[in-house]
Amino acid sequence: MAAEAAAAGRLWLSACRAGGHWRRLCSAGLLRGFLQPASAVGDAARRRQLAHFTFQPDPEHQDYGQTQKMNLFQAVTSALDNSLAKDPTAVIFGEDVAFGGVFRCTVGLRDKYGKDRVFNTPLCEQGIVGFGIGIAVTGATAIAEIQFADYIFPAFDQIVNEAAKYRYRSGDLFNCGSLTIRSPWGCVGHGALYHSQSPEAFFAHCPGIKVVVPRSPFQAKGLLLSCIEDKNPCIFFEPKILYRAAVEQVPVEPYNIPLSQAEIIQEGSDVTLVAWGTQVHVIREVASMAQEKLGVSCEVIDLRTILPWDVDTVCKEECFLNLEAPISRVCGYDTPFPHIFEPFYIPDKWKCYDALRKMINY
Amino acid sequence: MALAARAARVWGSRRGWRQHPRWQQEQHFSSLDDKPQFPGASAEFVDKLEFIQPNVISGIPIYRVMDRQGQIINPSEDPHLPQEKVLKFYKSMTLLNTMDRILYESQRQGRISFYMTNYGEEGTHVGSAAALDNTDLVFGQYREAGTTAFREQKQMGGPGRFQPGSRLTSECKEGSNTRTEENQCVLMYRDYPLEQFMAQCYGNVNDPGKGRQMPVHYGCKERHFVTISSPLATQIPQAVGAAYAAKRANANRIVICYFGEGAASEGDAHAGFNFAATLECPIIFFCRNNGYAISTPTSEQYRGDGIAARGPGYGILSIRVDGNDVFAVYNATKEARRRAVAENQPFLIEAMTYRIGHHSTSDDSSAYRSVDEVNYWDKQDHPISRLRHYMQSRGWWDDEQEKAWRKQSRKKVMEAFEEAERKLKPNPSLLFSDVYQEMPAQLRKQQESLTRHLQTYGEHYPLDHFEK
Repeated sequence: MAAEAAAAGRLWLSACRAGGHWRRLCSAGLLRGFLQPASAVGDAARRRQLAHFTFQPDPEHQDYGQTQKMNLFQAVTSALDNSLAKDPTAVIFGEDVAFGGVFRCTVGLRDKYGKDRVFNTPLCEQGIVGFGIGIAVTGATAIAEIQFADYIFPAFDQIVNEAAKYRYRSGDLFNCGSLTIRSPWGCVGHGALYHSQSPEAFFAHCPGIKVVVPRSPFQAKGLLLSCIEDKNPCIFFEPKILYRAAVEQVPVEPYNIPLSQAEIIQEGSDVTLVAWGTQVHVIREVASMAQEKLGVSCEVIDLRTILPWDVDTVCKEECFLNLEAPISRVCGYDTPFPHIFEPFYIPDKWKCYDALRKMINY
Repeated sequence: MALAARAARVWGSRRGWRQHPRWQQEQHFSSLDDKPQFPGASAEFVDKLEFIQPNVISGIPIYRVMDRQGQIINPSEDPHLPQEKVLKFYKSMTLLNTMDRILYESQRQGRISFYMTNYGEEGTHVGSAAALDNTDLVFGQYREAGTTAFREQKQMGGPGRFQPGSRLTSECKEGSNTRTEENQCVLMYRDYPLEQFMAQCYGNVNDPGKGRQMPVHYGCKERHFVTISSPLATQIPQAVGAAYAAKRANANRIVICYFGEGAASEGDAHAGFNFAATLECPIIFFCRNNGYAISTPTSEQYRGDGIAARGPGYGILSIRVDGNDVFAVYNATKEARRRAVAENQPFLIEAMTYRIGHHSTSDDSSAYRSVDEVNYWDKQDHPISRLRHYMQSRGWWDDEQEKAWRKQSRKKVMEAFEEAERKLKPNPSLLFSDVYQEMPAQLRKQQESLTRHLQTYGEHYPLDHFEK
């Protein structure tokens, strides 16, 4: 986070120098006491926090052909590129997608595929999803973007009352299975109430839709392609904090990662840790800490699909009687997502580690 | 009115793209020019402070072809439809009227759980349906009552209730003012079989919807009629998306989207209009303004000049028509269709009409409006009567034929009705399918669990009415 801030600062400064603006500021005497580099700031508390996790890339996959170094948003772009290349009916739309998107997920696609296939819509989430449903009803592939998951709520009626129920209520005469909704998701360090939300729980009990959250670029591309090709309406939440922070080798050609299948990232025998999205990297670290400090062997599971979820992997059988301690849920507090208090709010590795420690000692 | 005229001057008969603000954004402009440079509007400066007065006293005029007695006013507007087609209009409207009376009664007798009749609005639906191609996609509106009268169909045949198999005894009164929902009428015009209407209302084994929804939530893939859903106005942005896809597919198809003036207050309506205009979609928005949204009169629904006046605000070509004049509806829809597909732009048609019947079987409209008001529309300005007078004046119809047709249509409806009532309901396992394209493992487990449950407790469930 501090590195990013410093980099941003340097970028601003160099841009100013280039424009001559810097010189004008200097001569105006305004520069003194204005924006000194972060490292010069004496009080460490004023520096912004580092991220609460360390992204852990998976080993490079050999089975899918040539790979390229991509971050998460580039992996998304690659998936979208593959989709539009092989499916002539596929279109991408939402707010600001035409110029490349506020997170650069759609960069280059409008130039490559045309303005009738990659286009902006008016600022209206209920319209975006309703419009997407209509495209899908005709059989064409609709890939809708909701700019932040925090803004998905105006579309809740269209998602829950319409998209999810389209096939069922029509007796399978009609469906909107070729609809995928993608949306940036989750905490980012400074997003506060309306740029940090993880609203998957609101959709988790809505039969008829699928909800998917990837943990990495490789996972994101494969899962997104599966969502797009899935014959049911899907919501794909993209952890925005990973857009640039997560980098790994990702196959250039299309490939699929199955939905409704959790992944056991690390096998273990004492405690099971389950998470999705960014949090997978937190619990991976917790698993290491547990092994190192407590000699505890952890099984780490990335749920990947929230709905329909892979019950069998998480819970090999009716496990209630086999648990030696109650299940512990480590998450944000029952408050809206705060701004300045984010470091205290999030379920970081210390809270998870502490919960694990208490569980072991139950 | 002034607003519409001004809008017409701005947009003309075809959206001039060079006048479009987007084009102006891309132009070079000189900062020495005193003209407005704002990207957001194409307009001149004015130095007099004046608010634009919304004109609701003399609103957008109502296009009509026939007078209330069914006489053509301006012969050049007469579509000169062949007798056969006009007869089909008439028979569609009256057959549906007959079906409405019978199904309304059947709900009263506890034989189906719920029904919506539309009396007085037949003209809007037949006139518009006839102007479309058969492959044009239809998104209809079902106005939901928030009903409390959802009686489960297992009550049929219970003590004191009507016994399945015997005839409907109550004679449907002449003035019982049943209505047809636009979806039913459009379907009727597209020759949707009576058996399938009934099957859906009864939720029996023949219901293409597999018994999933309340009565009147029809859908038909072959006739390009998207299944109705209860939430209001949700179909509006969906219809726009479908129109966009049709445009991309170069399919020479349009989409028509029906909704009431109440549903037009929903955010989804605003979303749909705006998207259709900005994304240049070949769609007809057809608003049935029938004066009421359940008990809410239009004076409490909007304060502007109805729905047609909103169109120009979005950049949409709009018209208001006499919805009880089937030819006016026909002409407007026909022309809108021709231009929508040729020019890839949306059209808004506001059909003025009156809801003669109750909102649904759960409503008694005498609680909020006078019988006199209702009678005026039933007797003085009814789409079926007006068309009948038109046909009679041409010698295409007379009282004899009327009598014979009424008898014949009633017989057809009764036969389909009794047939539908006799049929079993679908197997309860169909409760579980079609949630997803494939059945997830968890759902399969639940299905098996119900099967096992019924093996032990089956006597407490109405299994006799359901297919094994």
